[in-house]
Order: sequence, then C-alpha cells, then structure tokens
Amino acid sequence: MDSHIRKVYVPMTETAFYILLCLQKPNHGYGIVQMVEKMTDGEIRLAPGTMYGSLSKMEKDKLIQFVREEEKRKIYEITDLGREVLQLERKRIERLYKNAQEEL
Amino acid sequence: MEVRKEHKYFTIVEHEKEQEYLREKQKAGWKFVKVTGLGTYHFEKCEPEDVIYQLDYNQEGLAHKEEYVQMFRDCGWEYLQDFFGYSYFRKPQVEMNGNEEEIFCDDNSRLEMMKRVFKGRLVPLLIVFCCILVPQFFMNVFSAHHEFNNALAFLYGVLLVSYLIIFVTWTVRYLQYKRKVEK
Repeated sequence: MDSHIRKVYVPMTETAFYILLCLQKPNHGYGIVQMVEKMTDGEIRLAPGTMYGSLSKMEKDKLIQFVREEEKRKIYEITDLGREVLQLERKRIERLYKNAQEEL
Repeated sequence: MEVRKEHKYFTIVEHEKEQEYLREKQKAGWKFVKVTGLGTYHFEKCEPEDVIYQLDYNQEGLAHKEEYVQMFRDCGWEYLQDFFGYSYFRKPQVEMNGNEEEIFCDDNSRLEMMKRVFKGRLVPLLIVFCCILVPQFFMNVFSAHHEFNNALAFLYGVLLVSYLIIFVTWTVRYLQYKRKVEK
C-alpha cells in the first residue's frame, strides 16, 4: 500500500468507513445508506452528495471496484486494497477504544 | 397559473445564499420552476411550504447523469436542473423526520465540493484574471493619455476588484471547512 492511500484513509471519515464495511458484499449507494441507517438505529443518515463523491473517489483510489449496473444504480464491492485499509482503520479504532476504556 | 420572474445574480461561491433564497421564496408561496440566462429565476404561485434547496457541483456526476440523479432520487431529493455546472435539488422539510437534511453529511465532502468548484470554475477565471485583466488594466493605466484609456482602465479596475472578491470569498469558505475538518 502506498503512503498516499495510508495518509488519506487512515484515519478515514465515518462515511468512508461505513462504505468499506458495507461493500464487503456488493451493493449500490442507496443500499449502503439503508444498511447504515439500520446499523445505527437511524442515527446516521448518509447524504447522496457525500455518498456519490466518496464512491467515485474510492473507486479512483482502487479501494472499491465497479461490479455491474442495475436499474441505473452502480453496484460496487470492496477490493483487496480496500480490505487492507479497512483492517488498518479497525486496528486504529480498537486501540482508541481500548485506551478509552482504560483511561475513562 | 400565476408566474413571476426575478433577476438575481449570485457569484460562483454564493451557492449557500442561493439555496437560502429559493427556500425563502417557497416559504413565501413562490415555488422555483427554473433558472435561465444569466440568472433569471422563474417561480409559480404555490401554497407556502418549507422546502430545502441544495446545489451540488459535480462534473463527473453530470457525465453519468442517470445514476447520479438516481442516487439523489433514492434519498428523496427531487432533481430540478443543471445551471453552469451546478445541479439543483430540493426536498420538503416534512420528509426529513425533524432533521434538517443536506446533500452532504460531513465537512470533508463539503470541502471536496469546493475543490471541484475551484477546478471547474475558478481556474478558468484565474487564467482570464492573470493573462488578460491584470495586463490590460496596467496597460491602460500607464497609457492613460486619452479619455478612452481612462474609461478602459476604470472598467478593468472594476472587473479586477470583483474577481478578487470572488477569490477571497472562496478562500475564506474553503479555509473555514478545512479548519473544521482538521479539528
């Protein structure tokens, strides 16, 4: 993984994290919005402008890849590089959580 | 149907003001129909309603219009039109479950949009600014022997100032978001 990707995505935004998390199975933008809404009991509602921008940026950075199109919706899935970045971010969050538990 | 036209000029970096303008109009019973020319806003009479208007600037989205618009439609945003690279969306406040929704949900993506506006709109302006306005202004100032040159110098001066205002406004907004993101 090059240092640019690491610099841009670790740490990453909550939106980016949920996109990678959800794209472990192929899905489209609105599918991700719905999944995240369910996962967070409606607390996080990803917005379409953010979603569209993030998906195209992550596709360019090869963290996700286009699979096929269904009814005018682009379906994506995570790539190996995406999984690697997701794991790095997970480790960072775990450390954060562990330290918070010890210190708070 | 009663209709009304209003001429209004928003600079490239004033899309937030424009969104607010359209929202206030509909609250007052005038629903936005379209914008044409250099800024002629068409409205039709309606029941006053609180509707959120949002502008996006995404050239890639415009190039893949169908799936771009579909994503917004899925999220409940009605697509209205494009105008100089900006796409117009709206959604009634009552459909937002008590929240005030926007088409962006974090400052990171707001910053990304400003970067797209910079590349798409400000870079061309900067080129005109540096290659035409600045040299023309000084040429006319230093050869100000005729009324004609004075008038031209004045005209270029006015343009220079208005361009500078646009650049400064953009920079201020950009830095505001950037600071928020980096917090």
